[in-house]
Amino acid sequence: MKIEETLAKLEEITSALEREDLPLDEAIALFEQGLDLAASAKKTLDEARLRVEQVIEKARGTFDIEPFDVS
Amino acid sequence: MTEEHVYTVSELNRTAREIVEGGLGGVWVKGEVSELTHASSGHMYFTLKDEAAEVSAVRFRSRSPILSSIEPGMVVLAFGSVTIYEPRGRYQFVATLVQPVGAGILQAAFERLKQKLSLEGLFAPEHKKPLPAFPVRIGVVTSLTGAAFHDVVSVLSRRWPVGELFLFPSSVQGEGAAEELVAALDRAVRFSQTRGSLDLILLGRGGGAAEDLAPFNDERLARAVYACPVPVVSAVGHEIDFAITDFVADLRAATPSAAAELTTPDRADVALRIARTAERAVRALGGRLEADTVRFRTALRRPLFRTPGRLLETAEQRLDLQAAALSRAPRRALERPHERLAQRISVLRALRPTRPLERGFSLTYLQGTARPLRDAGSVAPGARVVTRLARGRLTSSVEEVDEE
Repeated sequence: MKIEETLAKLEEITSALEREDLPLDEAIALFEQGLDLAASAKKTLDEARLRVEQVIEKARGTFDIEPFDVS
Repeated sequence: MTEEHVYTVSELNRTAREIVEGGLGGVWVKGEVSELTHASSGHMYFTLKDEAAEVSAVRFRSRSPILSSIEPGMVVLAFGSVTIYEPRGRYQFVATLVQPVGAGILQAAFERLKQKLSLEGLFAPEHKKPLPAFPVRIGVVTSLTGAAFHDVVSVLSRRWPVGELFLFPSSVQGEGAAEELVAALDRAVRFSQTRGSLDLILLGRGGGAAEDLAPFNDERLARAVYACPVPVVSAVGHEIDFAITDFVADLRAATPSAAAELTTPDRADVALRIARTAERAVRALGGRLEADTVRFRTALRRPLFRTPGRLLETAEQRLDLQAAALSRAPRRALERPHERLAQRISVLRALRPTRPLERGFSLTYLQGTARPLRDAGSVAPGARVVTRLARGRLTSSVEEVDEE
């Protein structure tokens, strides 16, 4: 999931929990799902390394993606 | 009869030279450069011309630093004097200063094109595409050897390493650069359409002389940027430089580094936002659990839910401890959410009032109320009641009341 979607989902879950109209079991399940999302998004952010790739068009419409050494 | 003076050729040329040199002095001449040669002596020979006439010109090495940027076809403003080269009787202009006036001409062309494209609506704000808040797949159209590319990489490595850069190399100055940029942008668009869409495209180069930025003032490139289905951010040169692509693009950034900054979030800010949202979730559920705990305690004392005394006490004690920990430190709860909260959740689950329902008991409420019914006398025939089972609810009308 893209980080944008993760964030949106997390916001949605939190708002649902704040409305306090969910059955407890459902609230707990949502909460756990929310914390999993938060943890995975945080992990994605912490571990991200910028990927740099050069796109080469070998023949028209045929693209090669090669890692590009930026150092 | 006075004898006419007969000049020798040498005398004639010398006299003519003296007259010409004395008569004109230093002058400014504007003209187009042609037949330019850099002699091994360091002198520069060229012809200056306009539509109707031409004059040979020379600039001697010692006069001033050589401007290597002078090229055939360029319009220059030259300061110097007129003289005659006696050995050949040749009239020539000796320049002490030669400067391109191309800059002014480029400026005029720039303004004309800007005006034209503006009238056509290429700069219209309503045409500009919104930029994504969290771009991941980012196309970069620039030179791989220039500073622009390295600046973008270094800003994004620090700020938004979640991104993935796709490079579409092109030269960014000199002959053919505009065509190459158009082709590279086209490649990026087709790549986006066939190999996964790009979130945005950064187009630009670092600072340089006005002529170096010229490819970004090309009409074909401007139209390609306008037609590009992916949002384009134009970043050409330094803060003060403006290019036509800046006006057509969906966003103009002062420099390539600024483009990288403007179009991406800082990962630290995003992490903070996640933490705050999760904290809100912890507080929301925490509050909910406090309220439920009170309800459960009441429920636990009812015969239906009676459990062996010691077990209940232990469970209540654990609840108290967990509740205290949770309300004291929602922040700490967030650090290791699963350890702290999973425990509390399992306690609550073990005690949840729906457990007897799984054994076949049910709870009946008057519709619209929250208190379970205990006394048949409190309900009149015709009342609607809701019965809660282990799974689901039933809504019924009361037909008969037997108070016994």
